[in-house]
Amino acid sequence: METEGAGRRLARLMTALTVGVAAFALAACGSDLGGGEREGEIETATADTEASGELFVSNWPFYIDSKSLPEFEQESGLTVEYKEDVNDNNSIFAKLQPRLQNGESEGRDIIVVTDWMAKKMYDLGYLQNFDKSAIPTVEENLVPNLQSPSFDPERSYSAPWQAGMTGLVVNKEQAPDVTSVNDIFDPQYKGKVTVLTELRDTVPLVMKADGVDVDNATTEEWTAAIQKLREAVDSGQIRSFTGNDYTDDLARGDASIAIGWSGDAVQLQADDPNIQFVMPDEGCIVWADNMVIPVGAPNPTAAYEFMNYVYEPENQAQIAAYNSYVTPVSGVQEIFEKEDPALAKSELIFPTEEYQKNCSSQPEPPADGVEAIEKDFESLITGG
Amino acid sequence: MRSGRRVPYLLLAPGLLWLAFFFVVPMFFMGIIALEEGSLEEGFELTWRFANFPDAISAYDTQFLRSFLYAGIATVLCLLIAYPLAYAIAFKAGRWKNALLLAVIAPFFITYLIRTLAWQTILADESPIVNVLQFIGAVPDDGRVLQTSGSVIAGLTYNFLPFMILPIYSSLEQMDQRLIEAGKDLYSSARTTFLRVTLPISAPGVIAGTLLTFIPAVGDYINASFLGGANQAMIGNVIQGEYLTIKDYPTAAALSFILMALILVVVVLYIRFAGSEALMGDEERPAA
Repeated sequence: METEGAGRRLARLMTALTVGVAAFALAACGSDLGGGEREGEIETATADTEASGELFVSNWPFYIDSKSLPEFEQESGLTVEYKEDVNDNNSIFAKLQPRLQNGESEGRDIIVVTDWMAKKMYDLGYLQNFDKSAIPTVEENLVPNLQSPSFDPERSYSAPWQAGMTGLVVNKEQAPDVTSVNDIFDPQYKGKVTVLTELRDTVPLVMKADGVDVDNATTEEWTAAIQKLREAVDSGQIRSFTGNDYTDDLARGDASIAIGWSGDAVQLQADDPNIQFVMPDEGCIVWADNMVIPVGAPNPTAAYEFMNYVYEPENQAQIAAYNSYVTPVSGVQEIFEKEDPALAKSELIFPTEEYQKNCSSQPEPPADGVEAIEKDFESLITGG
Repeated sequence: MRSGRRVPYLLLAPGLLWLAFFFVVPMFFMGIIALEEGSLEEGFELTWRFANFPDAISAYDTQFLRSFLYAGIATVLCLLIAYPLAYAIAFKAGRWKNALLLAVIAPFFITYLIRTLAWQTILADESPIVNVLQFIGAVPDDGRVLQTSGSVIAGLTYNFLPFMILPIYSSLEQMDQRLIEAGKDLYSSARTTFLRVTLPISAPGVIAGTLLTFIPAVGDYINASFLGGANQAMIGNVIQGEYLTIKDYPTAAALSFILMALILVVVVLYIRFAGSEALMGDEERPAA
């Protein structure tokens, strides 16, 4: 009897505890659960006259050399926390979204995201407008063709970190004759092909290979391209979907052809000179990764200082020489001509119009179909 | 007397509070999210949409099935590898016992993630291991090991093996060896002694080990994402994608609930079948 009584009392205690804790948690979290948009106007990140303290930057891997940050710290007197924690746009968004929704950035002053994600975050009210008077160097040196992209025509909340091209990254030894996106469907390379998990890179490239005008592609055309990929996955032609880690598959020899990003190939050549970026006959997808200032950024003044710093041609030259992506800063080519003529001729850093002749800027799926297309692509990646 | 009665509650309180905060409360919220509708842009609204559950099942039944299949095979493989090993360590290892136990635990000194990533290199197309497998004909000449079901199951088996070895070892280690001698004295063969004496005594260890292996293996997504391709995605990968990539929180929450319910059903059936006394242990022999 004794134990039974204790058992019942224990059960009652547990119930009481549970209810109490749940009520507390409910009260604490209120109705914030899951909601999306932040209310109110977009604010402008205000600048003090002098930057001091700490700067927190979130960027993609392989985007900065080892010297630039220490030099910036020395020159500015700021302490920089630089995290390479952006592996793909969706993951960083999902990680930060619950905080951004409450107007907090987890201490981040600058986040670097691709065009479409910058727009998405801005539309949700997660970003701040720039105080243009605080970034004169950016204003002065931004290359003309990046000054008014369709997603942010005035460049009022985004400044390109680096631009780049999505095309084919190929191991020339294993796949010497690759020139077209359609080569990824060539049975000769069965099981040696990887493609990107980024919907807006992989699918438009496949559509281009089929002659679709990606800027005006319909929902059906997006879906058809996803279906084409699905068949290639089921037949074993496509080995896997990757983020930036496709570089590992190429380096190990598990992949011969990858849909990948222009600058990565150059860095892989250090280990294996056979790895090259191939501009597909059908053209490439052009995009830019942008510095943005999230809501709640603790030190926007330092963020502006950093932007100005990386837009100084000498500083930018050092960064561009390291990452081999398209530089958004004018005056860099002149510096390379003096210091490293080979880099000045690199079509990956300074693509000519002829080189990019068939390329398109990264397209957005039709507004009424985007949700279904994203879902379809995700189910493709997870083998549904 | 009075204060003495309060002691068990005080001892239970930290654990109960912990569970309440980090299990019951999140479950409650997850339950609410699973019944919501909407998108990140428009916000989610609680509409009590119970159809989220059947929708999630019909969309991802393949991955559910695959998860249980992979985890089931991995658990059986773990058991087949772990039992003889635990037996050898407990009874035959002599002075090597501690060294061998250390070897079993040693992988934990390196993080799970790095160990799994290392398998990418071990199983790469051009690796010596794959070459040997191709030579003996276990893998076709133009075939691969990485990004197949085999590599995912191998990864699961490897990663969860210690969780199978340790409980079995601990139940065997506590066994009174004189029982085996008693069996022999009663003219039982070695085989019969094992089946009638050793195996039943180690049953709590086996059951604890299979549960510790199977349950986390079903929900695992690291092995499938590093060692598998698109067609090896497990339900954990789907939930991750729903939550992190397309931000369909209701479907992700519904999938998590379904996974939990399915695991619960399987585990309850298993314990029924295997006998709960074996798990809980009887009076003389508390479970490991």
